[in-house]
Amino acid sequence: MRLRSRTAAVAGLLAAVLVAAVVAFAIVGTKGTAGNVASAAPGPVATAQSGSAARTSFPGLGAAKGEPELASIKAARPRSGQILQARGPFDDRFVLENPTFNGSVVSGAVLVTSDVSDLLELQVLAGFYDKGGNLLGTNRFVHHLGADSHAHAGVPQERTKFIIRVPAALAHRAVSVTIGVPVLVNE
Amino acid sequence: MRLIAPVITSTALVAAIVATAAVTGSSVSATAAPTKADGVAMNVIYLLGDGMGRTHVTAGRQRFFGASGKMVMETLPAAGHVGTYAVERKSGQPGTADFQPNLVTDSASAATAWSSGVKTYNSALGVDAKGVVVPTLMEMAKKDGFRTGNVTTSEITDATPAGQMSHVLARGCQGPVYSAAACQDTKITGDALPTSDVRVTPVADQIARNGTADVILGGGLGRFDAPDEIALKKNGYSVLGSIANQEPATEKDLESANSGKVFGLFNKGNLTVEKAKQDKPLAPEALEPSLPEMTGKAIELLSSKSTKGNNSNGRGSNSKGFYLQVEGALIDKRSHANDAAQTLAEIKAFDDAVAVALEFAKKDGNTLVIVTADHECAGFNIIEKGTFTNAEAATPPGNVDSGNTANNSTPTRPRNTLSPTRSTGIVNGSGSADTANFGPATFHTPDDPAGTKDGSPEASLWLSYLSGNHTGADVPVYAYGRGSEQLQGTIDNTKLFDIVGRALKVVR
Repeated sequence: MRLRSRTAAVAGLLAAVLVAAVVAFAIVGTKGTAGNVASAAPGPVATAQSGSAARTSFPGLGAAKGEPELASIKAARPRSGQILQARGPFDDRFVLENPTFNGSVVSGAVLVTSDVSDLLELQVLAGFYDKGGNLLGTNRFVHHLGADSHAHAGVPQERTKFIIRVPAALAHRAVSVTIGVPVLVNE
Repeated sequence: MRLIAPVITSTALVAAIVATAAVTGSSVSATAAPTKADGVAMNVIYLLGDGMGRTHVTAGRQRFFGASGKMVMETLPAAGHVGTYAVERKSGQPGTADFQPNLVTDSASAATAWSSGVKTYNSALGVDAKGVVVPTLMEMAKKDGFRTGNVTTSEITDATPAGQMSHVLARGCQGPVYSAAACQDTKITGDALPTSDVRVTPVADQIARNGTADVILGGGLGRFDAPDEIALKKNGYSVLGSIANQEPATEKDLESANSGKVFGLFNKGNLTVEKAKQDKPLAPEALEPSLPEMTGKAIELLSSKSTKGNNSNGRGSNSKGFYLQVEGALIDKRSHANDAAQTLAEIKAFDDAVAVALEFAKKDGNTLVIVTADHECAGFNIIEKGTFTNAEAATPPGNVDSGNTANNSTPTRPRNTLSPTRSTGIVNGSGSADTANFGPATFHTPDDPAGTKDGSPEASLWLSYLSGNHTGADVPVYAYGRGSEQLQGTIDNTKLFDIVGRALKVVR
């Protein structure tokens, strides 16, 4: 009986130690082990564990609800036939060249004037307006380095041509346009 | 990188201590906090010249110190080489069956390698090649009680600084706003992630809210918006200049900064290249702080915090020191442009920042200084005087970009005529003698006769480029201080994570 008791006590102690060690590893093991913070499966669950030093949530920061817009496009009231440049966050980094609007398509080019080796991201946003200067809707041109049609070509892309069509629902109503750049990342 | 093996400790005592530490919320490394026996807290200053290959350093030496001179970084006692390769999307880590190397890295993959100790794909920041978030050294140091700083001459949201302070699938997701094209990568995730996921949250939003670095100095004000300024102030930062009004901070703002947490961006984009500031000293951009100035201020701000208390070393007994990353970003950007004059000036500015760090380390006595690069850029080469060979160019690349201030110029680099059959090339091709042409660019050195002019055939330093993009060459590493001997020889860039992490005692 006494022997059984001692054996049980030792077994219990070992079990407790084992559990404690496992718990300790599970927590401490995340420290400094960059490769083991989460499941290897990509997707929403593939973020760092709560014990990680990485902050993966930001209370108070609203999640983006869609593609970027420009307040200046909403505020503009261009006259019929006008093509205006809408203010954006990167206006000091590019020149808008040869903007043209024929009623169904707005086209032109963005010449990036800041340091360019790769043009990583570019969005050109066009706002379309009726005769009263009321915003009817928008459409956009998107450049993404690495996309099939925008693979790196070796020579820096300082001038990027764009063509943006008036959405079908706005056909024959759009008489003026504003153009702005909400996204620009170049290296 | 050595991962902690899932081995249960062999003695009950050790297991119990570890378990207690874990359950009570302390950590194993906390038991290794500085003691008199262990020495005082360790600081680490990690400086990197973006795109700075071995030849960049040699050219800088010859240009500014002469053939028999040395750059400051070359005076550091430990020296070695760093391998820089990246991996493809979905690749496993080295040694695994699904390992797929990509021999030429970009700045994002390289930054993730030394910041988080994993290989990842070009464009990824703070995630591995399968899209899993990996913590960074700066996050770990911050969590462990170190003061932290991040200094750059690029936008602070650019790959190198962002590699320590953010986790995104694509480096183009910089802000101020989200866009699917810039932020999502369905080749990694399959379906698009919800926009609340950190991996598609713009870098600027993350930096403004995660408090990873106490001192943030650089460019890129245009990436941040008014809510970011509110978030920064709520987190205790002194914001220099005005984000809401998009007014860049000034050198004077920086001089007067004395609080613990400082956020100062001195340009809406990248900072202005040194040569442009030297050429136009009265331009507003010339008033931006230089990299050595920012480095000195960052060290002052980070080290002053640890002078609380009065132990024998002038450090607070609970202070853990600091971890500072400093990037000379424009070495790379001007190398991409094949502009040797601006590149050389940026190398010198970076070396001056190294001097500032080294001076502090020598006085401090417990600071590890590491100087390295993320990758080589453009195949920079020193060629024999009077020769020029380019296997593909019929004429040398035109150096029409020399007026680029990196922020407001109109750089152009005309296409050259390429050989369709990869000919053996044009030796001393037409135009090579024209000093207006870049290839080769010529510069005088301290060894040249007085009066020798840059751009002349008489100048002794002849420089040329292989390309306008990164190469897969190893990069140099130099080090000073306790633990610097680990930088001898050739190491992989993920090894830098281990070395710095162990110096800070946040990695075992």
